[in-house]
Amino acid sequence: MSSQAELDKLIHGDYEAGFISAIESDTLPPGLNEDVVRFISEKKGEPEWLLEWRLAAYRRWLSMPVPQWAHLEHPPVDFNEISYYSAPKSMSDGPKSLDEVDPELLRIYEKLGIPLHEQEMLAGVAVDAVFDSVSVGTTFKAKLLEAGVIFCPISEAVHTYPELIKKYLGTVVPQGDNYYAALNSAVFSDGSFVYIPKGVRCPMELSTYFRINEAKTGQFERTLIVADEGSYVSYLEGCTAPMRDENQMHAAVVELVALPGAEIKYSTVQNWYPGDAEGKGGIYNFVTKRGVCHDDAKISWTQVETGSAITWKYPSVILRGDNAIGEFYSVALTRNLQQADTGTKMIHLGKNTKSTIISKGISAGRSSNVYRGLVRMSPRAENARNFTQCDSLLLGDQCAAHTFPYIESRNPSAMIEHEATTSKVSDDQMFLCRSRGIDPEKAVSIIVNGFCKEVFKELPMEFAVEAGKLLEVSLEGAVG
Amino acid sequence: MSVTANEPLNVQLKRQALALAQARLRDDALTPVRRDALKLLEHTEFPDRRSEQWKYTSLQPLSAGHLQREATGSAPLPAALAAHRLVLVNGRYQPELSQLPENVSLTRFDGGEALAAETTDDTLRTPFAWLNNATLHDGLQLTVADDTVVAAPIEVLLLASDTEAAHCHTRLRVSLGRHSKLTVIERYAASGPVLTNAVTELVAAPGSSLTHYRLQAENAESLHIGTLVIAPQRDSQVQSFQLMQGNALRRNDVRAILAESGAQLALNGIFVGRGTTHIDNQITVEHRAPHSHSEQLYKGMGGDSAKLVFNGRIHIFAGAKGTNADLSNNNLLLTPGAEINTKPELEIYNDDVKCSHGTTCGQLDAGALFYLRSRGVEAAEAKRMLGFGFVNELLAALPDEAVVEWARPWLEQALTDAEPVA
Repeated sequence: MSSQAELDKLIHGDYEAGFISAIESDTLPPGLNEDVVRFISEKKGEPEWLLEWRLAAYRRWLSMPVPQWAHLEHPPVDFNEISYYSAPKSMSDGPKSLDEVDPELLRIYEKLGIPLHEQEMLAGVAVDAVFDSVSVGTTFKAKLLEAGVIFCPISEAVHTYPELIKKYLGTVVPQGDNYYAALNSAVFSDGSFVYIPKGVRCPMELSTYFRINEAKTGQFERTLIVADEGSYVSYLEGCTAPMRDENQMHAAVVELVALPGAEIKYSTVQNWYPGDAEGKGGIYNFVTKRGVCHDDAKISWTQVETGSAITWKYPSVILRGDNAIGEFYSVALTRNLQQADTGTKMIHLGKNTKSTIISKGISAGRSSNVYRGLVRMSPRAENARNFTQCDSLLLGDQCAAHTFPYIESRNPSAMIEHEATTSKVSDDQMFLCRSRGIDPEKAVSIIVNGFCKEVFKELPMEFAVEAGKLLEVSLEGAVG
Repeated sequence: MSVTANEPLNVQLKRQALALAQARLRDDALTPVRRDALKLLEHTEFPDRRSEQWKYTSLQPLSAGHLQREATGSAPLPAALAAHRLVLVNGRYQPELSQLPENVSLTRFDGGEALAAETTDDTLRTPFAWLNNATLHDGLQLTVADDTVVAAPIEVLLLASDTEAAHCHTRLRVSLGRHSKLTVIERYAASGPVLTNAVTELVAAPGSSLTHYRLQAENAESLHIGTLVIAPQRDSQVQSFQLMQGNALRRNDVRAILAESGAQLALNGIFVGRGTTHIDNQITVEHRAPHSHSEQLYKGMGGDSAKLVFNGRIHIFAGAKGTNADLSNNNLLLTPGAEINTKPELEIYNDDVKCSHGTTCGQLDAGALFYLRSRGVEAAEAKRMLGFGFVNELLAALPDEAVVEWARPWLEQALTDAEPVA
């Protein structure tokens, strides 16, 4: 069983990534207007078309109402109190090879346990680390290029691969898709760009690590992954932020394009600062993630959501081509006063398309956890198939768990199955663990881990270990 | 029909509803009810497709001006399903056609009697139900005294008829005393393009047991907007079964409030849409007290270009410990062109619960169809048989044979393809 040291860590285990780093940075004063958009674009030396694209998005955003449909409660966000650009100062000039990166920055990442240094790499994970608004360093770049894989900050890709960016940017999530996507399109600062050429199986797992450091900043990153015909890539994403009393905004957009026969596996462990026990502070996480699957392609989303004061996130798949496959595996844990409204959309357009949704929600404390999903079978989707399972586990009598699945079928040959259950931790299971001498805290942790197993097994190894640990720490104090 | 250019339909409908409500204001015991409802109507928007509850349903069929004329047609009386029955024609009570057993009393809200306080505007919640309150003239209340068992079922027949677009409002309330028992068969029939705006309330006092049927096989051109409120009290049991046929517009709002411990509710339904019909079910079950139990099973079938909507919400309040709630919704699409939109929802605010819901959408099993065809069964007949098989568990469980016998030919009709089967 667990050692005393581990137990202590568990009991006092607050938000481990909540340290604030004293790094001098270039931060734009708070406020949003066209000049801010121009400033960001200029700072990145972007071409004219991209500036126009950003401005078009900004104008669309101005005319859009704030969406109210989610089951979330928060004071209205004042978008003029947020700073839309922040870069560690030492990054502002000069090339960014890893050796030149500010050692203080590297120490932060070490603290977070990201294997940024190549020699410290765990079995070769290529990392693109995004710190506030800029990309700090991308590892293993050369090795990837050998295979023809492009993996670089999106701000760099705009210059190096303009034709690819121009061809795919905004094709999956258009500028005016929704309120937060429009905001992101206007002010996105950095993010990752991945291109896997035809028939290439990416030799290693790619990874991005996001961290919000500066106070009163928002992070608006944009990720674009294009997997050309018959290629394969597995991409991991991790997030943390320091503990601050005020709420910070994170509005990201992720676009995936799986061309015929390609496969993209996208895994996220989201551990933004969730706010304290009284619900003070924490990240507002409003994310738009969507992929398009062409013929015979496959996109698989796996997410473990434990952080953020508010999570608003619906990784979706548009199954455009015939025989395309979409998958969504999710564990969302909320505690204290966290609120999560998350789920997925599977839009079946092609014939013989298949989708699987496995969602596990765990709510503890006074939190609220919502699964919101859409499965749509278009009249063309002959023999399409969907299976959805969403289970909720409740820990404590003040938490809330909700399920809002939208199911729309316009094709008789399409088959849809949806199941949902909600219950507390079974007394029998608890009793079994307790009778084996396992303390209640550990027992709950074991049971919850079992509850999430179906999702964890979809995660790449290192992430699965991290996710398990994260849950354990997050569940601390949840047993009454 | 007065249509101001560019006026959105929901604004038009609100204007018509207000005009209707004002015209019906008069001085009697029901005046406060009507006034309150009118006030609520004044402050409410009529829904359009942007409201979440009306996402899949358009009120466009009402643009023909149904709210501007009261239905006045006459309809033939169908054969009775029970020994005792009450008859309403176009929302007006017909005493000469009605008779009740001795142990059931009838109150008629025709202005002489005030409506009991439970019919608060809050429990109804929809503009159409408020409109029903605002125009209230001939509401009926069936009351069963404490410790009374009414052996024979009572049928309430609600007829509506007109040859032009028109409306009628019906209001029924069934109130069971402590430890009493009753079976009510609520049956709607309509001919012509008439909108029936029906509100039914079922109140079961502690320890009582109510079996309720709502049979709705109005003709395809008619419209029906129905609100059903069910309130089972402590240790009472209510089972309610709905059979619905699609028509130009069918909206079925059901709200069950389990506000006391030990309340048990079984809600079942079959809905079948063919042709260009529309059925929208919005079912909400609220568990407000500890140890209550609800079970729901709804089966839908749609063919041709019918559109089916099912929204089943289970809401468990913070104090409602030890709640069990289940919901199943199974749907069959009989032909290409039909559409089903379903959303089973769970909203749960405490941990000591067991809740589940399940939904399926699909078509008749090709293997089963092939089996029947290989045994020489005609394709159309095979489809009918399998369709029956799909809903049979619900029919077979009905305690009243008369209802089953009425339902079978109706279902047979509904399951027969309009065009020749390939």
